[in-house]
Amino acid sequence: MSPPQSAARLAMPVVPSDADVRDPELMPAQKAVLRNVDFFYDSFRALKNISLPLHDKRVTAFIGPSGCGKSTLLRILNRIYELYPGQRATGEVLVDGENILAPGLDLNLLRAKIGMVFQKPTPFPMSIYDNIAFGIRLYERLTRPELDDRIEAALRRAALWDEVKDKLRQSGLGLSGGQQQRLCIARAVAVEPEILLLDEPASALDPLSTQRIEELIAELKDDYCIAIVTHNMQQAARSSDYTAFMYLGELIEFDETERIFTHPKQKQTEDYITGRFG
Amino acid sequence: MAADIALQRVAGARGRGGAVGDFLFHHLTFLFALLVLLILGGVIVALVEGALPALRTFGIGFLFSDVWNPVTEKFGALAPIYGTLVTSAIAMLVGIPVAFGVAVFITEICPIWLKRPLATMIELLAAIPSIIYGIWGLFVFAPFVQQYIQPNLIDSLGQIPGFGALFAGPPLGIGVLTAGFILAIMVLPFISSIMRDVFETVPAILKESAYGLGATRSEVVRQIVLPYTRIGVVGGIMLGLGRALGETMAVTFVLGHAHRISISILQPGTTISASLANEFTEAVGDLYLSSLIALGFILFVITFIVLAIAKLMLLRLQRRAGG
Repeated sequence: MSPPQSAARLAMPVVPSDADVRDPELMPAQKAVLRNVDFFYDSFRALKNISLPLHDKRVTAFIGPSGCGKSTLLRILNRIYELYPGQRATGEVLVDGENILAPGLDLNLLRAKIGMVFQKPTPFPMSIYDNIAFGIRLYERLTRPELDDRIEAALRRAALWDEVKDKLRQSGLGLSGGQQQRLCIARAVAVEPEILLLDEPASALDPLSTQRIEELIAELKDDYCIAIVTHNMQQAARSSDYTAFMYLGELIEFDETERIFTHPKQKQTEDYITGRFG
Repeated sequence: MAADIALQRVAGARGRGGAVGDFLFHHLTFLFALLVLLILGGVIVALVEGALPALRTFGIGFLFSDVWNPVTEKFGALAPIYGTLVTSAIAMLVGIPVAFGVAVFITEICPIWLKRPLATMIELLAAIPSIIYGIWGLFVFAPFVQQYIQPNLIDSLGQIPGFGALFAGPPLGIGVLTAGFILAIMVLPFISSIMRDVFETVPAILKESAYGLGATRSEVVRQIVLPYTRIGVVGGIMLGLGRALGETMAVTFVLGHAHRISISILQPGTTISASLANEFTEAVGDLYLSSLIALGFILFVITFIVLAIAKLMLLRLQRRAGG
């Protein structure tokens, strides 16, 4: 691929309008829309003019070789990158029509609305109960029974309740890796976010735990807009509705997952999903 | 087999000198290490031996008597022990929150360009000799305390019935409170640099998880960073406490040297180390000298316990971080 070609292609919006037009009955709402988003680590331009939608109640997978910017893109959506000086994003990210990159936005409220689960399980150094209660307590004053209910619901949602219901008071650090990751998912859904960002949520887990996480994603998508970054193409193919293929900070192709994996439009995408590079 | 031959060749090329050098080096370093333990043991033995006459004369009552009369040769350690503990307690009360604030600012909030200069400057506080703190305390800080801080304390907190006794009496400038302030400044760099180090051990991803739920910086610090580093923070505090307990020169300057126990922290007092510094040259009687040495022994025991706890806690943190 030569750079001029890619620049010309990216000048066109990559929003899959034809996919939506094909079946207007099933057209999912666009929960978030990225428009001409660039991202910089100091002067290094890590994302180049990214435009794509995230559909509500659908899973959008981001695939591509390491360093292509897919995790970076996820970190824009809840502006977690702002914890670090020297990192900045330009362009527009509309969530329900509101540009979340605009200055003056309440970051804490934004992050409460957009949950994130990381590569490695990150249980807080507290009990299982308090791990889930942490986020809820930040924004809501609940009575004890209400809180108990919310915590049970969140743990059930993350398919963890049966395994931990007798040891809610024990440290979250004592759980297995897969359980810890589901604890983190429970923690994220407990605050009832609208978008879930999953940054390679299964990359540190064994195959069985990975499978459970994937089943979980399939259930969660009934209620959330989910964006998942993954190195595992089978995972993307299995669990997502839309797939974005990224390479060197550019969005090469975005379409329904089925079409990406069966009839990719771009040669690069085809090469990647068939394992010819990456 | 081939490796054996190669080894022999290397050994042969370097000759026997290498082996002898290594032997010497091993034993020499071992000797140095042993020397440290011997010195420690020697100090303990000397202290106990020197303190024996006083301990034999006054018995366990030495610890609980506040009499200190060189003329009648009646000595008790209570006033210096009390002064040591109270000045250190004030130092901790003032120093810990400030050190905590400094550490949080540097690790969580400070822009990168300011981070290193600020950290270095605070650590340089530890490089100021304690005699300088003493002189500064006596000529600059004590008058300031006398003019601005103490009158206000007397007029406000001093008026509360009961509790006010802590702030009774004339504003003298020097005294227990001033010594506590000076100590706070002196232990600040130690506590804050250890807090900073342990705060840095919190994985970024853990903090991001909390921020990702919408937590503010203070919520992340209070609910994630502090619980995660609790042991290390306590270890750092103990290390600072150990220094405050033993600090001599600066305290001696601003404490006023009065062998009595005042409820009011605005009044002069004494600490173990200040008593030693002030009185060793004039301790003429054997029992007087022995009592001072006994004081030293008590200080040694107190600081040893505090520092041992500190080391244990820091060790536990390291083990957890490693495993």
